[in-house]
Amino acid sequence: MPRYELALILKAMQRPETAAVLKRTVEALMEQGAVVRNLENLGERALPYKISKHKQRHRRGGYFLVDFEGPPSIVSTMMDHLGRDIDVIRRTFLKHPVSKTEECSGIIPVNYEDKLIAKKK
Amino acid sequence: MAALALAGKTRSWCTLRRQLPAALLWGRRCSSRQEEVSVKSDYPIQMENPYKEPPRKCVLCGINVDYKNVQLLSQFVSPHTGRIYGRHITGLCNKKQKEITKAIKRAHVFGFMPVMFKNPSFLMDPKICNIKYPE
Repeated sequence: MPRYELALILKAMQRPETAAVLKRTVEALMEQGAVVRNLENLGERALPYKISKHKQRHRRGGYFLVDFEGPPSIVSTMMDHLGRDIDVIRRTFLKHPVSKTEECSGIIPVNYEDKLIAKKK
Repeated sequence: MAALALAGKTRSWCTLRRQLPAALLWGRRCSSRQEEVSVKSDYPIQMENPYKEPPRKCVLCGINVDYKNVQLLSQFVSPHTGRIYGRHITGLCNKKQKEITKAIKRAHVFGFMPVMFKNPSFLMDPKICNIKYPE
């Protein structure tokens, strides 16, 4: 099953309420058949810009990161489900970024003269 | 030397000149095959340039670019307008420039990084980009 990452921005709430939102989100994910690997809290910070959602103007939010493995059909259903949740400001699913930075060979000098001269095919 | 020895005998010089080859007359040694081989072994050996420098690396070579670390991404963005700097300003290689652009755009959409300006807490970061006239 492909690995996904859910970048979740929740409304700035008290701890028990945030916990309740996260719990029901994760339960919904597991109901759809996903295996949740990890849940990270990136802290509560001021949003980069004011976001209006569910008839409210938000300036602060709690950032959470859920990485899970699930069937591809889960994405559209969960987007729908989370869209109806009042406490969720922004939800984004993306494929889990594979960190691969071992083969950087450096800047290879390009021969511009060859590119200028038209090649006869 | 052989020619002189011959001349010492009763024959005249003129007859010698007609009969013997020029090399023998003037005592010059003809080039032997042994000399050719030693001359060829003196040629330079074909090898890779031993003083070749390793290819220059850009600032981000070896660093993983992620949409989550807003501080790294903010270093390649104008502080006044929030626009992404071009390749001639950042000095990054093609791959990394593309990765940075994609990550910045993602961060904008996902709600991690401001769009129209640079996050004020990152304004004091060390400058990587060489801008002559900041916008």
